[in-house]
Amino acid sequence: MDKLANRLRGDADKIEVAISDELDNRIAASLRSVSPQAESSPAPGSRRPALFWWASSLTGAAAAAAVIIIVNSQSAPEPPAPTPADIIASVPVIDWNTETAVYTGQLQQELDDLQSDIRKAEQKVRDDIGL
Amino acid sequence: MYRLLRTESHLIEAAQAGSADAFADLVHSYRDRLLRFLLTRCTSYADAEDALQDTLINAYRYIRSYDARWRFSTWLYRIAIRNAAKLRTPDVVEIGDLRDDENDPLLQCIRDSETENLWVRARHLLNDEVFLAMWLRYAEDMSVNDISRALDRSASWTKVNLMRGRRALDAELNNAENESEAYG
Repeated sequence: MDKLANRLRGDADKIEVAISDELDNRIAASLRSVSPQAESSPAPGSRRPALFWWASSLTGAAAAAAVIIIVNSQSAPEPPAPTPADIIASVPVIDWNTETAVYTGQLQQELDDLQSDIRKAEQKVRDDIGL
Repeated sequence: MYRLLRTESHLIEAAQAGSADAFADLVHSYRDRLLRFLLTRCTSYADAEDALQDTLINAYRYIRSYDARWRFSTWLYRIAIRNAAKLRTPDVVEIGDLRDDENDPLLQCIRDSETENLWVRARHLLNDEVFLAMWLRYAEDMSVNDISRALDRSASWTKVNLMRGRRALDAELNNAENESEAYG
């Protein structure tokens, strides 16, 4: 036996207790005042034979298999896979020109203004140098 | 041993038939050990005595539900653990930390010794369930299987926590020895 176990056993033995007469009498009186309760009846399923569990497991498995078969047999046939032509036809046509006009209109105006400014500046230079 | 078991089984049968005297004989040899055990679980000596009384009454009341596959002592300790738990207030987590030494019933019952009783140290060091497992193993000589049943835990849980408890107490013992050597 190892040192720690010896020490623990020895130290437990050093805890001294004694049942007093008063406690002894109390316990005796309490025991006389109660009687053992009737053993509680076991749970309804606890005495079922093992065959019962096998039978219920097999029934459950059979029921699950039947449901799978029925669901598979009643499902609608899968639609044919779409061809590339179908996919193209289903894509909406976008008016790219309109989009371009919408988004580049302001830039075009800016460009026209800048070109006009350049033309004016050129004209002013020509006038200054007498061309 | 066989004779003891035979006597015990006869007393159990008589108690199950309603004999309070047979039950009193049956538990007579366990009472001191149970009270000592309950002292480690309760905050006062009076509480420990009440817990012992409740344990014995409950054991007698439900003796017909006792399963002979269990050792009788294991069944009895399981009831004692439950009864002691009922006496503890819900907000008490570690009972050892909240006792003051003057009123600690365990300290009052420890015979004078040159060294500190290791169970007092264990109560501060270990958590409640590990302390319980250690007590049942080393003070009550219960097997791992019996401890598992008494605590309603798995055998592997019991083994792991016994090992943890041992490690913690081993470290404590080694520290104490090193300190005493250092100070001469």
